[in-house]
Amino acid sequence: MSFFESVGRYAIRQVEYVGALAIQFWLGLRFAIRVNPFAGRRLRWKRVTHQMAEIGVRSLPVLCLVSGATGMIMALQSGAELRRFGAMEAVINLVGTSMTRELGPLIAAIVVIGRSGSAISAEVATMVVTEEVDALRAMALDPIDFVLAPKYLAMMAMLPCLTVAGVFSGIVAGGVFTYFALDMTLLMYLRRTVEILLLRDIVSGLVKALVFGSIIVHVGCLEGFLVTGGPEGVGRSTTNAVVKSIFLVIIADLLCTAFFYFFWR
Amino acid sequence: MTDTGEAAVARGEKRETVRQPLVRARGLQVRYGNRDVLAGVDLEVYRGETMVILGPSGCGKSTLLRHLEGLERPMSGSIVVSGVDLGKASRQELRRVRRLMGVSFQSAAMFNSMTVGDNVALPLREHTDLADSTIRLMTRMKLQQVGLSGVEDLYPAQLSGGMRKRASLARALALDPEILFFDEPSAGLDPIIAAGIDRLILRLKEAFRMTIIVVTHEMQSAFLIADRMCMLDRGRILAVGTANEIRNHPHPRIRQFVQRIPDAYVGGSTQYITDFLDE
Repeated sequence: MSFFESVGRYAIRQVEYVGALAIQFWLGLRFAIRVNPFAGRRLRWKRVTHQMAEIGVRSLPVLCLVSGATGMIMALQSGAELRRFGAMEAVINLVGTSMTRELGPLIAAIVVIGRSGSAISAEVATMVVTEEVDALRAMALDPIDFVLAPKYLAMMAMLPCLTVAGVFSGIVAGGVFTYFALDMTLLMYLRRTVEILLLRDIVSGLVKALVFGSIIVHVGCLEGFLVTGGPEGVGRSTTNAVVKSIFLVIIADLLCTAFFYFFWR
Repeated sequence: MTDTGEAAVARGEKRETVRQPLVRARGLQVRYGNRDVLAGVDLEVYRGETMVILGPSGCGKSTLLRHLEGLERPMSGSIVVSGVDLGKASRQELRRVRRLMGVSFQSAAMFNSMTVGDNVALPLREHTDLADSTIRLMTRMKLQQVGLSGVEDLYPAQLSGGMRKRASLARALALDPEILFFDEPSAGLDPIIAAGIDRLILRLKEAFRMTIIVVTHEMQSAFLIADRMCMLDRGRILAVGTANEIRNHPHPRIRQFVQRIPDAYVGGSTQYITDFLDE
């Protein structure tokens, strides 16, 4: 196979992948809207609450720990530089805004990719390998409706919540630094943080959380649905899901940041 | 020896069961890469009959079954089930046809995260507005039908292979399908359990007059349950006929399969081992 053939083949595969992702996103959105606890679809709603616990509640401790550590690292690093200019108070602005706008949603997404994105992909891939997805289709049930929609809804509800919890942990950790370095009480620190935060910062963080959540669920499920081979394939699809999710989340982060920079200053 | 419904009726066979084709494949072709998995398959399955699709491993049996079940769209040719062309059917039509089908998979394909009861109740919960109490009652009845009682609250992993197959059959029967598909019903089961599954298929046939399509390479089981058999080899149908017709068929490949004669190259390798041992 010539070089150009290989490049062409690779490009076609990537276009197909993006197309499949787009179709799955559209179907997932349609089915997710129909998962309504008041419309008699109790089984689906039960799956949503189960996924909420799995994605949200169980990720909370590790997320708070990682976000707290990041907030503290940021305060320490920026404090070391800002001390030279006598601008130690700027640490509050730096930690508050960067956690809310950027690091909060990004860390939440990376923790959830590691915990739930890989689990979603492994679960769906195992269902494909053990013919469970075929069984769903044979029962006139759409796998996107039955498997993806509950996870999607749960992720849409939980990733913004996790982001809020992560941002709060990071900011509080920064407060511990200011308590020792600036002799500022935690309450004063939090009051200052609230003063400097703008609506734009909070909205951009939450919008990013929603975009990242969509990417994690859709990439995880698509990698699972596309699995080939046996248990080996399951392992491969899990690795692919994690790598592609992290890559796409960072690209989406860049696009969201650029969008908010240009359109909502 | 390809049978038509009229020919079978003329011979006086299965006068009541053979009426009109419920499932019809015409010129079905499937290609994976450069390999023809199915090369122009024509098959008709009549309402109320049990059709067994036979053939050596890798001959395309399971691919044919997946196409008949509507799990794959044909690349070429057509499949008509209950008057609906599966290749051209809309999502809604496909959904309607699938509700007429029950599928028992080779691996049982039970949802491991749900109890056996929830597995069987799933189609009822999704496709009917029945009250929970009615669904529970029906679930118990379906499980009793396949000889499983008191396992509703167990998880599939807690069942033996034979029990899982029967539970999967109970789930396939949940919506009282017109057509029942079995992929290798006795694969991996001991002869006693396999005989039990055969008896269950016969009972379903007698009690509900279902159209049953079975893929297997277990000859004993096939001859017991089949009204008609279809012999598939290298993606082509070699013959369709009754159990007796297939048993006495002159085609060398069918004779080889029925009489369990190994392929020449397998014989060659055995000779090599014998020579080696003699030395």
